[in-house]
Amino acid sequence: MTVKTRILIVEDDNKISNFISFALQQEGFITLAAKNGQTALSLLVSEQIDIMLLDLGLPDFDGMEVLRKIREWSEIPVIIVSARDQDKEKAMALDAGADDYLTKPFSVTELLARVRVALRHFYRQNNQKIQNTIKVKNLEINFEKRLVYLADKEIHLTPLEYSLLSLFFKNVGKVLTTSYIIKEVWGVGYGEDTQALRALMAGLRRKIEQNPAKPIYLLTEIGVGYRLIDE
Amino acid sequence: MNRIPGTQKKIVVGLIIMIFSIATATLIGYFFESIKIPETNIVIVYILAVLITARFSQGYLMGVLSSIIATLTYNYFFTAPYFSLSVYDPNYLITFVIMTITAIITGTLTSKTLQSEKEAKEKEVESNTLYHLTNYLTDAVDIKEIASVATSAISGFLACNVACLCFDFHGNPEETYIQQEDGSQQIIKATENIEEIRKRIENLHAIVDINEEFYDFPIYGRENILGLIRVPTSHAKKLTDYQVKLVHTMTENVALAMDRFYGIQEHLRLKEEASQERYRSNLLRAISHDLRTPLATIMGNSELLVSLSKKKDVIHDISNDINKEADWLYGLVENILSLTKLQDSKFQLKHEYEVVEEVLSVAIQNINRRYPKMEINVAMPNEAVLIPMDAKLIAQVLTNLLDNAAKHNKSHKPIDITIKKLETTSEIEFTIRDYGNGINEDDLPHLFTMFFIGSKQRVDAQHGIGIGLAICDEIIRAHHGTIQARNCTAGKGAEFIFTLPMKEKES
Repeated sequence: MTVKTRILIVEDDNKISNFISFALQQEGFITLAAKNGQTALSLLVSEQIDIMLLDLGLPDFDGMEVLRKIREWSEIPVIIVSARDQDKEKAMALDAGADDYLTKPFSVTELLARVRVALRHFYRQNNQKIQNTIKVKNLEINFEKRLVYLADKEIHLTPLEYSLLSLFFKNVGKVLTTSYIIKEVWGVGYGEDTQALRALMAGLRRKIEQNPAKPIYLLTEIGVGYRLIDE
Repeated sequence: MNRIPGTQKKIVVGLIIMIFSIATATLIGYFFESIKIPETNIVIVYILAVLITARFSQGYLMGVLSSIIATLTYNYFFTAPYFSLSVYDPNYLITFVIMTITAIITGTLTSKTLQSEKEAKEKEVESNTLYHLTNYLTDAVDIKEIASVATSAISGFLACNVACLCFDFHGNPEETYIQQEDGSQQIIKATENIEEIRKRIENLHAIVDINEEFYDFPIYGRENILGLIRVPTSHAKKLTDYQVKLVHTMTENVALAMDRFYGIQEHLRLKEEASQERYRSNLLRAISHDLRTPLATIMGNSELLVSLSKKKDVIHDISNDINKEADWLYGLVENILSLTKLQDSKFQLKHEYEVVEEVLSVAIQNINRRYPKMEINVAMPNEAVLIPMDAKLIAQVLTNLLDNAAKHNKSHKPIDITIKKLETTSEIEFTIRDYGNGINEDDLPHLFTMFFIGSKQRVDAQHGIGIGLAICDEIIRAHHGTIQARNCTAGKGAEFIFTLPMKEKES
């Protein structure tokens, strides 16, 4: 990227905002900061912003409201930041259009990873270039042939398993909520049938992971959903 | 019950009235005869005499007796042959029969009226007594006042000096009792023979217990004996069945009042306890929550310092230490928050079916973050295991146990995790085994107690305030599971084993 990416950090605590800014600047990002929802929205309109970090616990606006307002006219990637025990909020925010989440306290590595994934996904979507194959470590999917290879050996997946895995591949590195996955794989109207998803995930996991308890591809995010990791 | 000694007196009085009225009737009869008033009126005068006798004497025996005697008297004095009980004119026999029947009916009716009147009066007394008793009882503010009210009410009703001995919560007679004295005074007296009384009343199920000094009427509460109403034997002996029944009713009212009082007390106590618990919990939660933000800053910044410094740099190590300590603090904060969540009465344990390997993988990730070189072996059934649980909390348990194992493990040794299905008890068993020095035998029974650190302080002991294991215990128990620890039989090290039910238990 010749043009530096511009990140808006919406966080009311000064010190956290500072350290996030500093960490991102180290990686070559340009950072802007907003202390509340109002400022954030006005900055979004007036400045060129490529990606946003949004704290859910803002003083003036409910973080969700800011998110909804933004999504009314912008598709820029939004990563929400929240405290640990607000799983429902995280899932709700993700379903309302947030791209990923971070839980306070988080490590710099995690922060950078999330930002990179969100940006990559965003650019890919806007590129309109269709990728035939995607490879993550030893796992490769071929969309054209509808085949999946693990360490270059073909593995056999049921149609549903293939649907599920291809959904993950189309969103490498991004967290996918349970409800989103159910909607995409089974369709709207299957509501909260998490049992079926769990069973399907377990089956898929056994086919691609060496040790289901120590997965290297499909990570579980308790209370939120799942993620296919690439780093 | 003994009859009131006035009964005999009443019979004598009744006879006197009878004789008097019949004699008077006879005299009036003679008077009527002398002024040539027809005979029938004399019969009616005798019936009047029977009526008066029945009205003023007790019992309908008198009524019947007086009717027969009235008839005979009339026969004797006013039918030919005079002054004899025989009769010339057989028509008089009809007169006698009708007279007798009329007299008997009249007598009976009168007696019945008297009886009804008496019963109505008694009912009125009963209602009034109970009304006043209940009134005072509802106003009473504590047990002492209830006892005092009961004593004075029952004393007033029975017209003697009654006493009330209360029992405490554990069913033991108190050391003092309230004694009614003459002139609406009440005094407190010391209880004699407390143990003897307790033994005597313990298994009693009757309305009254008869003794030398007192007749004891137990006050039966909903669950145990609340006290005794003690009526002096000298008076109690003479009580009618009716009075006993009423004393019993009054005693039951007193029991209701006492039970209600204890019930309210208990309720207030529980409310207070719950409120204190909530306060403590909220305090903990607020503190822990507030610790997170500064922790995030400390962890984040120290991590930055580490990444910005070279490994040989002293800043690198310093920053690393800061980061590690902050991470430990954060682990503590998470544990406290889990605990407050459990203790929150509004908290409902999630019962959704979760996949065991998913929850385990999260815990393993957490440990690998802190101990990157730690090797963790997992043995579990081939097929996926789904059990009802709160995934977050069980992940916390596993994290705590793995952390504990990692702390105790010797370098280069792995942690072994085994997951087994126990078909017989329908449980899943989790075993976490480390290869450390094992657990001190003395510590074993106290491991899961809150704030327990352990008897032996190791040289490089990682500090802890001893809540990690206690929280595991609470979480597992909330899931209706079991948890235990023991030293390995095969080789060195310790094993922590916990079970979780495979199906939701109906609690």
